[in-house]
Amino acid sequence: MSAMLLSKEKWSDFVGMLAGKNLWAPRESDEGLRFVPVAEGEVPTLDYNNTRVPPKEAVFPQTETLFKFKVGGKDLEEPRPDQDAVLLGVRPCDARAMHIIDELFSWDEDDPYYLKRREKTVLVGLACNEPGLNCFCTSVGGGPVSTEGLDLLMVDLGEKYLLEEVTEKGSALIDEVKELLEEADDNSSKQKDKLADEAAGKIKRSIETEGIPAGLPGLWEDELWQRVSASCIGCGTCTFLCPTCHCFDIQDETEGFEARRCRMWDSCMFREYTLHTSGHNPRPTRSERTRNRINHKYSYYVDKFEVIACVGCGRCINLCPVNIDILDILGQVKEEI
Amino acid sequence: MDLDKLRKTAAEVVAREDVRYLLGWKKGTFGYRIAPGFVEDAESAAELIFSPLCTANLATYLTLTEKPPLPRGQEPDDRKVAVMVKGCDSRAVTQLLIEKGIERESVVIIGCPCPGVVDHELLAEKYPETEETAELKWSDKGFLLLQNGEETEIARDELLAEKCRLCRYPNPVVSDIMVGEPVETWEPDDDQGVAEVEGKNAEVRWEYWQEQFSNCLRCYSCRNVCPLCYCEDCILDRLNPTWIYRSVNFSENTAFNLARAFHLAGRCIECGECERVCPANIPLGKLNRKLAREVREKYGFEPGVDPEAEPFQASYKPDDPEEFIL
Repeated sequence: MSAMLLSKEKWSDFVGMLAGKNLWAPRESDEGLRFVPVAEGEVPTLDYNNTRVPPKEAVFPQTETLFKFKVGGKDLEEPRPDQDAVLLGVRPCDARAMHIIDELFSWDEDDPYYLKRREKTVLVGLACNEPGLNCFCTSVGGGPVSTEGLDLLMVDLGEKYLLEEVTEKGSALIDEVKELLEEADDNSSKQKDKLADEAAGKIKRSIETEGIPAGLPGLWEDELWQRVSASCIGCGTCTFLCPTCHCFDIQDETEGFEARRCRMWDSCMFREYTLHTSGHNPRPTRSERTRNRINHKYSYYVDKFEVIACVGCGRCINLCPVNIDILDILGQVKEEI
Repeated sequence: MDLDKLRKTAAEVVAREDVRYLLGWKKGTFGYRIAPGFVEDAESAAELIFSPLCTANLATYLTLTEKPPLPRGQEPDDRKVAVMVKGCDSRAVTQLLIEKGIERESVVIIGCPCPGVVDHELLAEKYPETEETAELKWSDKGFLLLQNGEETEIARDELLAEKCRLCRYPNPVVSDIMVGEPVETWEPDDDQGVAEVEGKNAEVRWEYWQEQFSNCLRCYSCRNVCPLCYCEDCILDRLNPTWIYRSVNFSENTAFNLARAFHLAGRCIECGECERVCPANIPLGKLNRKLAREVREKYGFEPGVDPEAEPFQASYKPDDPEEFIL
């Protein structure tokens, strides 16, 4: 695959040429940084660390209407996600997360909603030159220039962006903006490697994951789960902001005679998540729920898909209201194994 | 704050036979983070701290503790829980007493007079966090930051949390043991946050809240962190009837946020935890403080001050003048 260069002076032209494509990029607002559709004439800046809500919401929206119907009626109206989209400035960890959950959504039954959006969406990545405080992607198989899940990778070389094609979707996008680009030389690729090494060196936090997936089942009854979840308030911050968390609930909702069946993000940290109709709850307290969160990412998913369902983005650590730190938990897990 | 005294007091309290554990603040895992600590022995008590970083209101754990069914023959552990409280936190404990959410005999209240804590976001913005855990102390001028072996003096006004600028109760209103001398109270600022929203016309206000509530992720961190949101059966969790749909959209989000605000009217003690933990940065404090002010001005009630008071939303006065009710 070839590589091209885009001068930063041509950035607004680049964005302009993609404007008709349902372009998404991070935007800063009251709520913090979040991926949103780029407004007409808006030139998004890629000078950011990472968004609070991961870009998974562009392919797996928090609430999605599966079909609409009239109460008492038999006809279903199915909105089909068929719009092309281009996500600009996706961090390698977040793209890798989508790559990881692709496995789940195309497992026993294909999930048409997710897969259709995935197919229609082009992920333009942005390599990390400045990792965040709690980034640990290099511990879980990722890295500042990882291309898994991406269609195109951009690397900020200072005055220019290096654009590396990853998939055919990425190549097609490059073809559309070719007039703005120039061929990359060996020097740019060396510069990229240097930046990647530097960025990896700036990552301060880490965990040696070897032994964790195999060791977790043996800790099922361990007292450590009580200890690490004692301060948990049971909110959905860690799971909703996790780029690999993919659980959803399905509900029928009505407004007058208008009804819809929709699905929405659910969180295993909620009591309601495992509550049975009988009133019995197989995960009665936050310690079982915390155990599930860690086991799902670092054991069950590995058993099924041979990959850890955590990309080391650090969001759950950064945003937990009570400083529950997944690296701290994993450290304690390792001690107990 | 004399940390040795704090730790010694805590160690004495947890050594008592009638105390199960103590809730206090400990250093977090990185940067400016503070972690709630569940202290059961003297060794663990030695890790306790009290500093301008200790924003968390630990009173929330008094009602958050789960009580799963016990194995046959096992007796429940009814020993007391000790809790360290700042002024605002003590109001949460008091309000819980007023509402009979907890019993006075079930808690040991350790009062920590508080000169005001910092706004964590502001702190991290002005003095970027590093992976090392940093310390922040109260000093004559305000705060003293100890980070990576360096000391930085910071003016109080620069970093003081909004809730502290408005605080009228920096000293615990109820306590069994006080650690340290009471602090001198200060003249609270005018509530500019609320005034700013009040100053706009209804249409602009509606747009403002529409935007804010649209950002809500319904993670319920505001509800769960709130010491006064402790209903066992929350209206939000009900499925039959489903008062609030699980769909995340402006309409349902507004129903959720307004239901919570109304349920907290005359109960919110303005500890600011909901706003601090909101991952969508919704200014929930403005909403709650506005309602608190309405209740204070119109009904003369202030929650969490007098443990003998009748709960505002559950009391009735036959001679109520009802001057403002049409």
